[in-house]
Amino acid sequence: MTKTLLRLGHALVAALALGAGGASAVVDGITGPVFNLTARADYITAGDGASLLAWGYAPDDAHPGHFQDVMQYPGPTMIVNEGDEVIVNLKNALPMPVSMVFPGQSGVTTSCDSATGGTPGALTCEAPPDGTTTVTYTFTASHPGTYLYHSGTRPDLQVEMGLVGAIVVRPAGFDEGTNRTAYGDAGSAYDHEYLFLLTEMDFQVHEQVAINLMAGLPPETGVNTADFTSEYWFINGRAAPDTMMAAGAGTPWMPTQPYNAMPRMFPGERLLMRVIGGGRDLHPFHHHGNNSWTIARDGRLLESVPGSGNPDLAVSDFTVKVVPGNTYDAIFEWTGKGLGWDIYGTVALNPHTCTADTSGFDVVTREWCADHDKPLPVVLPNQQDLAFGGFWSGSPYLGAAGALPPGQGGLNANAGYFHMWHSHAEKEITNNDIFPGGMMTMVIIEPRVEGVTIP
Amino acid sequence: MKTTCTLSRLGFLVALAWGLAPAAHGAVFVQCPGDSNQDAVIDNPALHPNAKCMHLSGGDGFVTMADGYLQYIFGFSDLTGVLPEQAMSEGMLAANFPAPTIALKQGQQFYLSLTNAGMAIRPDLFDPHTVHFHGFPQAAPVFDGMPEGSIGINMGATITYYYNLIEPGTFMYHCHMEATEHMQMGMLGSLYVDPIQNRTGIGGSLAAPDLSTVAAKEGGAGPYGYVYNDGDGSTAFDVEIPIQLGSFDPAFHDASYTVQPLPFAEMKDKYPMMNGRGYPDTVNSASLPPPIDPETGESANGGKVSQPVSSRVTATAGQKILLRLSNLSVTNFYTVTALGLPMKVVGTGAHILRGPDGTDTYYDTSSVTLGGGEAADVIVDTGGAAPGTYFLYTTNLNYLSNNTEDYGGMMTEIVIN
Repeated sequence: MTKTLLRLGHALVAALALGAGGASAVVDGITGPVFNLTARADYITAGDGASLLAWGYAPDDAHPGHFQDVMQYPGPTMIVNEGDEVIVNLKNALPMPVSMVFPGQSGVTTSCDSATGGTPGALTCEAPPDGTTTVTYTFTASHPGTYLYHSGTRPDLQVEMGLVGAIVVRPAGFDEGTNRTAYGDAGSAYDHEYLFLLTEMDFQVHEQVAINLMAGLPPETGVNTADFTSEYWFINGRAAPDTMMAAGAGTPWMPTQPYNAMPRMFPGERLLMRVIGGGRDLHPFHHHGNNSWTIARDGRLLESVPGSGNPDLAVSDFTVKVVPGNTYDAIFEWTGKGLGWDIYGTVALNPHTCTADTSGFDVVTREWCADHDKPLPVVLPNQQDLAFGGFWSGSPYLGAAGALPPGQGGLNANAGYFHMWHSHAEKEITNNDIFPGGMMTMVIIEPRVEGVTIP
Repeated sequence: MKTTCTLSRLGFLVALAWGLAPAAHGAVFVQCPGDSNQDAVIDNPALHPNAKCMHLSGGDGFVTMADGYLQYIFGFSDLTGVLPEQAMSEGMLAANFPAPTIALKQGQQFYLSLTNAGMAIRPDLFDPHTVHFHGFPQAAPVFDGMPEGSIGINMGATITYYYNLIEPGTFMYHCHMEATEHMQMGMLGSLYVDPIQNRTGIGGSLAAPDLSTVAAKEGGAGPYGYVYNDGDGSTAFDVEIPIQLGSFDPAFHDASYTVQPLPFAEMKDKYPMMNGRGYPDTVNSASLPPPIDPETGESANGGKVSQPVSSRVTATAGQKILLRLSNLSVTNFYTVTALGLPMKVVGTGAHILRGPDGTDTYYDTSSVTLGGGEAADVIVDTGGAAPGTYFLYTTNLNYLSNNTEDYGGMMTEIVIN
């Protein structure tokens, strides 16, 4: 593990210094409401370094943090506002017809309806593989929330090949600086938001398609989509440890996988998890650290009174059961409440104060005051008796770095608390026979000290 | 050598600076308040009424599958009550499946010592181990047992985890070291925390309990227990059983046993189980006999009982049965049903099924689906049920099998008298 993760070192530190490669306070994506995309082929890198032929949606225009005209996995996250008329113009540079469907959006019209471009297909209007025809999809983003889109043409094959992406609809009144909510209500208010689009791949399909194309055969020749067996699992198109690398240009050797999954927060903050089942399999997404409240499914708040803005039917759990095609919005919080010892060490070790607000928390020092100055109740073993994780700071205390043997640790720049967020079907935290990897990343609970900022 | 000494001294000084007195190197070292001989048993519990201690070993061993197949495993065993001098020998080749059930109470301070007893069958391995208290609220990495962000314990040494228990519910625990391997190999167990309402009764406090509703398992006149601090008795039950779903891939275990490359990508579980056994072993109320090596006809693990946990449920008609369901399979989701009996889900993820403002979201169902790392609290009300034998089984019907044996797997009996 340590060796595998060591190569993360510089990239991760760079990512933190750069604010995750230029990422802003919101999820990485491109803003509309008009999106110009082309379906293209290229290669992606799996967590073990393998290259897989993949198909994806490429942005035709320049967007910060994205690579113009480069196919990406997943497709660009399309960020729009509630009430927008969304227009998606799709061209196709792939060797077979392609299209887009928008689950959860109603009233989608296409250029086939008006006979202005494209060919009617089984599910929706398709773009022929000519590279020039533009197919247009139009819908009104009537509900805020988290959604996905994917190919509606041979989706059994084309989603496996990579033609899938996320849509975020901002609620009316949303303001990135002053009013961050998922659904416009206090129950969905958050400090930071992160996307977790979960997918998987069977490399044999990708090899078969590549061989077919080299042989001049139709790409789907001999591909048995009923017999998929995944060897790779991804969050936002990357397999661990790449999930923890910088986004966008911060990791220039992965231009077709511009999104990372590196959630960070301070104690006492609210982190919005936008989780999407983007592939074929169910994934139990376990987030270490604390329970979360799932406040919405498929872009609808879990509320007993529709439109009330009160997610009174939210469910608390330590694992999100991610079903293919479903989306989940969950609020994760962490304060260290009730641990029974001071997460910053005793006052004698580390002089600090705690001034409780009405909830018992100090919002300045980020401490749960009831445990202030309580010592760690047990003695930790000697270094010789321990195996150290790369993200272990050497100290049990938040923001404190302890001594570590040479070559140990080193991946925890701010002495934060690292908790693994991963598929709890642990077979899926591997990269084709190699542990660790796959559908796994870490959240960092950062110490509230000078110099540590989270966008 | 000089460099090493210098560095060790540096670590020692830093540890002292942080107020951590280091333990002796490479020794079993159990930390438990009021325990003078380090056997993880508190000498005078009256002096430490809220402390709870336990000592586990991590190592390897053997179990027997329901079709008779001998399976090599990694696992935990219970060393509570064992003196440190005997801990290594008692813990060696002692792996249980499932791991010893950990039953706790809200309000306790839980001191869990883990001694790494090493791999007797695989001397080429020097794996550390951890305990991950899966679902522990507001966790800090030092006691979370997730080794990439924390620490693992090496062979021959002990780490003591500390948990202040402020949330009741059905959790689970497992080793998180090289998680895919150690979990497929069997380092998995049930863990649950009783609510404080068991001791306060409904509406009472610890100082002034409502004696008429204090749980019978705490000596009160109320129901046997409650799942959560519901405030209204709606999670009361009369009979309780933790049932952990899981499954083994025999090819993976055999590869480990015979020192071959481990088939992660090809992993396919073929022994579906409840509490470490396939049907019909699930309904055996007794411990399974120690595993036998078919090649020698002798005990494979020195005659140690390694599968003590039955999944047979018995109740009297009218009683409410609490099924503390969890799944720690590393490959599969499983759906279970209690055919002919109503199931009410009152909690998931160690949290009562109520919204942030207390809105009740309990639901009635006839099936529950759990992926790895999920848990549910299910109350089966036998009020309308005729006496007889009912079955709790997976509706993923292909998993009603013990590898090539076509009748068995993830199934047990609920007997209503």
